[in-house]
Amino acid sequence: MKSLSLLLSASVAALTLVSSGASAQDKNLTVAWYGGNWGDAFQACVAEPFTKETGIKVTAEIGTSTTTLAKLQQQASAPTIDVAYMDGGISELAQEAGVLAPIDLSKMPNAANLSEKAAYKAGNDVFAISGGYYSLGLTYNTKEIEEAPTSWEALWDEDYAGAVTIPSPSNSAGIPFIFFLNKMLGGTPADMSATFAKLKELDANMFFDSSGAASNAFQSGEVIIGAHFNVGAWALADAGLPIGFTVPKEGVWATDARLHLVKGSKNSEAAEKFLNTAMSAEAGQCLAAKLYLGPAVKNVELTPEVSRKLPWGEKGSVDDLLLFDWNEVNAKRSELTETWNREVAR
Amino acid sequence: MSTSRIAVLGLVALPAAFFAAFFLVPLATVLIASIMKDGSLTAANYTRILFDTYHWEVLATTFRLGLLTTVICILLGYPLAWYLVRMVRWKAWRRICVILLILPLFTSNIVRSFGWMVLLGRNGLVNESMEGLGLIERPIRFLGTETGILIGLVYILLPFVVLTIGNALARVDRSVEHASADLGASPASTFWHVTFPLSIPGVVSGAIMVFALAVSAYVTPALLSGGRVTVLAMLIFQQYSSVFDFNYGGALAITLLAFTLAMIAAASLVSRLGAR
Repeated sequence: MKSLSLLLSASVAALTLVSSGASAQDKNLTVAWYGGNWGDAFQACVAEPFTKETGIKVTAEIGTSTTTLAKLQQQASAPTIDVAYMDGGISELAQEAGVLAPIDLSKMPNAANLSEKAAYKAGNDVFAISGGYYSLGLTYNTKEIEEAPTSWEALWDEDYAGAVTIPSPSNSAGIPFIFFLNKMLGGTPADMSATFAKLKELDANMFFDSSGAASNAFQSGEVIIGAHFNVGAWALADAGLPIGFTVPKEGVWATDARLHLVKGSKNSEAAEKFLNTAMSAEAGQCLAAKLYLGPAVKNVELTPEVSRKLPWGEKGSVDDLLLFDWNEVNAKRSELTETWNREVAR
Repeated sequence: MSTSRIAVLGLVALPAAFFAAFFLVPLATVLIASIMKDGSLTAANYTRILFDTYHWEVLATTFRLGLLTTVICILLGYPLAWYLVRMVRWKAWRRICVILLILPLFTSNIVRSFGWMVLLGRNGLVNESMEGLGLIERPIRFLGTETGILIGLVYILLPFVVLTIGNALARVDRSVEHASADLGASPASTFWHVTFPLSIPGVVSGAIMVFALAVSAYVTPALLSGGRVTVLAMLIFQQYSSVFDFNYGGALAITLLAFTLAMIAAASLVSRLGAR
């Protein structure tokens, strides 16, 4: 009994330790974004110009979109993050979770150039703006496949059996890609059985969880054709590897990295200015050059070398991207993941 | 009396606080989530798992890999520990061997798993050399199979077994072995009747550690399976990272924990009965 009360009082001490973690705010903007070359690019293209213009320092809070959403939910009562980058899909979940503040575009002069699709609304309020598009296109080894394949059907080509990759449902592109294939194969959202039958036939080398695993497989030659992001595929090609990226005739599925204002942020004015900088033509140009993100603002000028590596391919434009309604995708997420587990991943 | 109680409280508070904050609270969060659905108490998350053959198949795969990893680790680890403790005469060489054994533990699992992906791939070193020697005509598929995962897990977990068994072997009193030899037992008989039984605690603790780590491993199976073989940890990750169903995911996590504890309890019961 004595030891129990000892343990209990120790646990209470532990809980007080845990709950007293909030810290003070100063003239500083905390922005949540992704790690690796993405974070570096946001730093160079948006944060640095922003600091130069306003004198406000930017502290990066690094994490994937899902991690950022989890942090926002935990900090809902006293957020330490002011601006959050999150991918399409997670963005809608964050909106539903009620952790976002509405964005008033009239306060941001650069919003005039934002393309119409790039302001995401729930009711009348804008809850996210696009920071640039990326797509999941057909990526192939140019040494093994000399001519760029023109159709997604190439994934089922016997010559490439056992050397194909597509995203798994654990990847943010996994479920949308099933939707994409379903549309391509003429299925309806209610009945995807034909699509799963086709997926079952696919002789895949691997289903990738992280885009890094896909890049690694293309790099080692383990995989010679598959669905990969334009950002990752061109990074491999730029590193001198024999990798090509193409937009087949059926099109590509795409999404974007979006900016959000956090509800309850104490630096909302600075946060609005940050969004304004993110919508500048210079930021769009810089991100296109560094990550091949397709700009969401209209007045960006690009070199031909950068243009051809954008998510919509050489001749396309933002209108060619298949941007699904994420609410529809999220609604089917659990069911499709389960079907995948039972039909494909075994 | 009271000052010593305060001192004890002070000494216990920090580790207990640590334990509560980083173990009990997260575990309780998961447990509570697992018995909730849409805001009310329910067992639905568990019945969904236990009344479904799919989950039993995944559990079977998980525990099959865990058991095979444990058995292979012990079969490989025991001779290795024996070599290090009993056969190496030169101290510096023993030290080098131990460093070589422990060094991989300082690199991340992810890097080491990627290393195996390179070695075991279609054009990897293993397949290339077997093809070069004319042993096989077409590359053998390792990645995306249970064999591939098994190779990765054994590699990552082997050091734990070698260290625990080596530790147990070093504690064996050599005089009892000499006594056994004096009484006319052959070296083999001395090993089986004296040394091996004395080293069993090391074998059991190594086995429990390896088994628990193998069934809960995520990174190695996720990378080496290429998403084509599913273990329970991958299902849990999927629910937390992409489906966001923390209730079902939590129930999966608790199920894994319960089955692992049951297996370990059964194993220690068997070993205790065997020791009698």
